[in-house]
Parts: sequence; C-alpha cells; structure tokens
Amino acid sequence: MENATVRNEKNAIHFALNHRFVTIFGVVLPLLLFAAFIGYPIVYTIYLSFFKWNGMAKIMRFIGLDNYAYLIHSQEFYLAVLNNIKWMLVSLCFPVSLGFLIAYGMRARIVYFTGLVRSAVFFPVTMSLVAAGLMFLLILNPAFGALNSLLRGVGLGFLVREWFGDYHIAIYTLAVIFGWAFTGLPMIFYYAGIGDIPKETLDAARIEGAGHFKIIRSVALPQLRPVTAVVVLLTIFESLKAFDLVVVLTKGAPFGATNVLGYLIYNESFWNSRFGYGACLSVAVLFLSTIAAAAVLRKVLKGAFDA
Amino acid sequence: MPDNPFRPSANPEAETKYLIAAFISKAIATILALLIAIIWVGPFLLMVVTSLKPNAEFLRGPFAWPLAPNFDAYRKVWAGLDFPTLLGNSVLYSATGAALAVLLALVPAYGLSRFDIPGKKFIFGILLIGLMLPQQTVLIPLYTTLRTLHLLDTKIGLILVHGVYGMPMQILALRGFMTSIPKEIDKAAFIEGASDFQVFWKIILPLSIPGILVSYTLNFIAIWKEFVFSLVFLNNESNFPVTVGMLKLNSDRYMSAFNLPSAGLVISQIPIIILFLILYRKFAGGKLAGAVKG
Repeated sequence: MENATVRNEKNAIHFALNHRFVTIFGVVLPLLLFAAFIGYPIVYTIYLSFFKWNGMAKIMRFIGLDNYAYLIHSQEFYLAVLNNIKWMLVSLCFPVSLGFLIAYGMRARIVYFTGLVRSAVFFPVTMSLVAAGLMFLLILNPAFGALNSLLRGVGLGFLVREWFGDYHIAIYTLAVIFGWAFTGLPMIFYYAGIGDIPKETLDAARIEGAGHFKIIRSVALPQLRPVTAVVVLLTIFESLKAFDLVVVLTKGAPFGATNVLGYLIYNESFWNSRFGYGACLSVAVLFLSTIAAAAVLRKVLKGAFDA
Repeated sequence: MPDNPFRPSANPEAETKYLIAAFISKAIATILALLIAIIWVGPFLLMVVTSLKPNAEFLRGPFAWPLAPNFDAYRKVWAGLDFPTLLGNSVLYSATGAALAVLLALVPAYGLSRFDIPGKKFIFGILLIGLMLPQQTVLIPLYTTLRTLHLLDTKIGLILVHGVYGMPMQILALRGFMTSIPKEIDKAAFIEGASDFQVFWKIILPLSIPGILVSYTLNFIAIWKEFVFSLVFLNNESNFPVTVGMLKLNSDRYMSAFNLPSAGLVISQIPIIILFLILYRKFAGGKLAGAVKG
C-alpha cells in the first residue's frame, strides 16, 4: 500500500474521494466559516462603500464614488494616515530593535538574570491595551503622574509635558505605550530564531574574533531574515489596527492629533451613523494593508509558509 | 558554561583575557537589562502600590510608600464595576472562544501537516488574510450579519466571532506542531490500513496535546485582551467583558484619587498573572514563536 503523504493526489476530486474526513472537516467546513465570517464581510464592505446608509434604514442609497471623492478631499483622512504611519515607524524602530537586542543579549549570555528580564519584558504582552492605557493615564497624568514627578525629581523638569494634551507629542506618546506593550513579542520571536541558528556558525564567527556588533550584522541578522519578515509584518498590521489605546486615552483629541484609521472607521460608522463612508474608510485600510503585506511578503517571505 | 555558542575554545591565555572582558561587559549589560526589566514591570508594580493607598495619601506623591495600606479601593471598585460579572464574562468568552477556535482548527491543521491537499497555497493565502485582517474593516458587515441572525448583543454571537477569528492562527500554530511529529509514526499506521480519521484520533491528537495546550492558552489571552468586537457588538452591561467594563474607570467618579483605577486594573490582570505563572516556562521557551514559524 502506498503512503498517503507520498501518493500523487494532484487531482482535487481524487483527493476528496480518498480523504473524505480531511476534506469535509479540514477543508470544506473551515472554508465555509471563513467565507461567512471573513470573506463575505470583506466583500460586503467593498459593496457598501458605494452607498450612503445610516445603518438602520431599509434603503441604502447608491451614490457611486461619492464616498471616495469625499475621502480624497478629507483632511481628517490624511491626518489619520499620517498618524498611522508615525505609529508604524515608532513600532518598527523601538520595540523590534529592542526586542532583538534583548533576545540576542540573552542568547549570547551577555546578561545575567535572563529569565527575570525575559518574563518582565513579556509581561505587558499578556495585558489588555485597555488596562495598559488606564495605567499610563495615571502614570502620565500631567499634575500627579509618576513620570512628570520623576522628571522633576531628577532635575529634568524641562522635559515635563502634557503627554496626552500636547498636539505634537500625543501620537508619539500613544505609539510608545503601544511599543512598550508590544516589545515582548519580537523578543520571543527573535529568542526562538537565534536559538535555531546552528551553533557552529556562531562559534566560527567568534573564533575568528568577530565582536558582537559584527556577529549581529554579518551572521545573526542575515540568518534571521524569515523571522524579521514575520515580525515586521506583524508590527505593520498591529499598527494599522491601532485602536484600543486611542479609545481609552484620547478619543482622537487634541484636535484629531491622535486620530488613527481604526478609530476613524469606528467613529464615522457607529457614532456618526455614516456606514457607507465608514465602509469606504475600511476599503482604504484594506488597500493599505494589502500593499504592506505584498511588499513584505514579496521581498522576504518567499515560501516561508509552504514546505 | 560549556554550551555557550559564543565562547571560543582557544588557547588558555586568550581564554583568561576573554573571561575578564566577558565579565565586565556582562556586568554592564546586566545593569542595562535590569533597567529594562524595571521599565517593563515597574509601572504595574507602581499600580499595585497605588491601589493600596487610602484617598488621603494621594497628594503625598506617586512614589510615596503607603502609610496605612488597605484594600478599601478593591472593595469599592469590585462592587462599583460589578467585577464578578465582568470577570465571569471574560472567562466565559476566552475559555469557550479559544476552545471553539482549537476545535475548528484541529482537522485542518492535521490535513495541512500530513497531506498534499490540492490548493494548499490558496488555503495558506486565505489563512494569512484571516490572520492579518484589521478587525475594524469588517465591523459593519459583521454587525449587520449578527443583527440579522439576532445574535447582536448576545454572548453566543461574540463567542462565535471569537472562535472563527481565532481559527486561522490556531490552524497555523497547530500545523506547525503537528509537522514536528515524526511522519514515520503515522506512516506505519497507514500501511496497517488505518483510515485518516483513525490516524488523527488515535495518533496525532494524543501526541498534539502539549501543542494544543500552548495555543489554547495563547488564544485565551488574546480573547481576554480583545476590545474592538466586544465594544461594538455588545450593548448590555451584563454581557460586557472586563476590557469594555473597565472603560468606566476613566471617569471623574473613579479618577479623583488614583487608588480606584489602579485597583481596577490590577483586578483585571490577576487571572492572566495566575495563568502566566502556571505556564511561564512554556511561553519563555519560545514555543509561541516556534508554533508560528512552523
């Protein structure tokens, strides 16, 4: 008898007949659920973006590309896109690089207490962003918060800010809080990734007298390209999803300085009852995420998910 | 430390030199690492301390040690926000939502790890879409769908959504784990004439239990943290999970002295801390990343 994994089953019908159990519960059922709860909503969002609808009325009015025309001329939209980009850049720089450095430090045994550091940095990953947001609402309170009083205490009083009220700083405050909560994930990914690099490779580099900087640049990072791709992709998408912290901390204030796309969609659809325009914004986000995914996937992820 | 991959096995002189240099750099790096650890857990510890302070001590500053620590703030917040209901709901959503996701993912993961399913690439593409999709973009259709099914503002509706949206991640994670089970084991069973279901039920499923536990826990935590779906699909306070119910803390009633919101957020984190402590080694070992990379 032939082996199931080796048998040539390129023909879908042949496969379905030979493996009814796998076909029904492993392919058809999940695909149906996916179609109903993920595929259909995506298509419906695109469809709805050509309509004007308040969410309750029986009739949706077809208005063609009017929503898109409004979107293109909306200052609010561009501000939100810009804010998402700022959020993304902060998230790509600080949590990812710090996560990598901590992971490398632990794997290279250049720090003691690795277990302690690892669980400390991972801890906020288990915390809801609502709880983290509330926590920093207290810590960054301009008058009574811990950070400002710490800054005053060590003679850095000139750095004291209204962290959520300052038009130019607020979005970075949110992005850094997000980065703080997120750092544990890149760290764990890189920790596992560096562990997978063959020992001989690192040994060879060390014997030839390479310093840590050299090892990171010429050995670790090139070997970790697939991990970096996953981490970068994850970071980009988490940045596009940014929402929770905005709701808890600023609701887009001051003057839209912390308005991000996720919050704009929610606000326009469920508070201003402009479901058509909300759908149109959603399509814009889908478009942006597709571009981001395509760019990253094409570059580094080739074939990382098959095999 | 014989298993240190970075240590050279050169001559004795170089060895001593290396050890001294290593110790100094290690000390500096350790101080930095401890500083990082403080920045990452410090805020939460500060909240724990703040939550124990009575109102009167608020003006003594954020770092003042509580003079008369008590649990008054916990008592007030526990009753004021109806934490028993919130925590109960969160546990219900996380436990059943994650269970549904795992249940739906088991056979697809088995299929993808063992068989050359036609259209494999297409399936992986779809899984990636499900994994990456920003939830906000599908809020409106999901909202109207749930409304038509009379599942809006119901616990079952939310659990269903959590289950289906957890499925792609579960499939990838469990497939990664199942791929690591040696193929020789089920090869033998197939040769003996076992059916796909028998191999799945008798061999793959029992061997996958450690992997299932890890990915179930991760999904549990993900649903515990989830906010967007709960915020939009629920109206009735008796259905709120902790994340949505906690929003109330951000009001003048609770914000006047910081002890109440601190107590609230500490309560919201306690179940996860317990889970974290139990399963800490599994997380720390990088199982999560291993599962995703597959």
